[in-house]
Amino acid sequence: MSKLDPRIHEVLDGDLPPERLPPELRAVVLRLERAAGLLRAGLAPASVAGRVLAALHRPEPSRGRRVLQWLTERHVITIAMRPVWSLALAAVLAAVVLVPDHGSAPLLGAQEGIARFVGHFPGARSVDVVGPFTDWHTGVVPLRDDDNDGVWSAVVVLPAGTHEYMFVVDGERWVVDPLAGRYVSDGFGRQNALLIVRPVGR
Amino acid sequence: MRRVALFLLAIVAPLGAQSGRGSVRARLTGRVPEVAIAVVDSVVRAAEAERLPTEPLVQKALEGAAKHAAPGRIVQAVGAQAEQLRQARTLLERGGGNPPTAIEITSVAAAMVRGLPPPLAGRIVTALADEPPGPALHAVADLEGHGFAEDAAVDLIVAAARAGLRGLRLLDVATAAVHELQRGATHPAALATVRRALPDVPWPPKPSPAEVNRARRPRPGV
Repeated sequence: MSKLDPRIHEVLDGDLPPERLPPELRAVVLRLERAAGLLRAGLAPASVAGRVLAALHRPEPSRGRRVLQWLTERHVITIAMRPVWSLALAAVLAAVVLVPDHGSAPLLGAQEGIARFVGHFPGARSVDVVGPFTDWHTGVVPLRDDDNDGVWSAVVVLPAGTHEYMFVVDGERWVVDPLAGRYVSDGFGRQNALLIVRPVGR
Repeated sequence: MRRVALFLLAIVAPLGAQSGRGSVRARLTGRVPEVAIAVVDSVVRAAEAERLPTEPLVQKALEGAAKHAAPGRIVQAVGAQAEQLRQARTLLERGGGNPPTAIEITSVAAAMVRGLPPPLAGRIVTALADEPPGPALHAVADLEGHGFAEDAAVDLIVAAARAGLRGLRLLDVATAAVHELQRGATHPAALATVRRALPDVPWPPKPSPAEVNRARRPRPGV
């Protein structure tokens, strides 16, 4: 490492005017001053004090920007929960995902209508309505008698048009709806009731 | 490369062609007696070829099985159903216009099964050439079912259509006539009263919001 001429120190300290230096030393002083200027411009804000001051003077971000920032930044979120509650939550989620949805009210399509099935079957243990809309399976549209007065009913959404149907009482007795008003031969020696469903918009 | 493509096509094409039929067999297997399935399948295939609706045929087979009908009886009922659909389509095509939809064919077939003689049904189709005749046929069948004379029933429904009533509103005409009977009118008087009031016949009650909320869609597969 070369040692600087003491006259350069004097010029940098302001003790000696640069004009008093020979030209080659004046050139060195100029290079040193340029380098010092670069250091002042680039490194000073990187210092701790510089960063703190810059942060203090930075304008407060808007509420929306803060929310957006919070949402997009990484956070460590800790939820403390008793194991019994986490098991209960898991059971509820499993029920929501796995149990078929019979509970939500339907949104009716333009070509769908409401069909109400009612029958008087005192003493019956179960009553189902079956037809092409159940693939003639029992258990798909069970009727209910909540007040045990022997009147069983169900309300279902069906496509608009004609539907043949029958009631199945206690899982084995096939009964034609005496209130249907319309009947067709079933091709097996009996009759099916015939229902004409109107679209909700008529 | 071309050989590979032809080879793949040779394998995949028959599978694709059979997929619809396969699903019919799958729906019948385990419910319909095995001996009936092959015949029902061939009836369904023939109906497909004729562009008839096939779902009523599958349903008839399932219905027969659910009612514990003998295999021969199931086959007979499915064959009869195919014939009814065929007659319904012929009747609809006689009316001209667009090719009938599966719903129209099924609806007209159901009306014919209710006992409407073909000439009478033909008269309605001709009179309501621009209209799907299913509801009109069912309206006439409703009137017949309550003892109204065939010709008088057809006259009333045609008059209602000419008065501007369309589609399922024609069923309300029959209902209005039946209500007149229930109030004590004779058959001719009931028809005359309704005819005078045309096109004003009462609408059927709409389902209440509570009923709509209670209603559920049947899901046979679930």
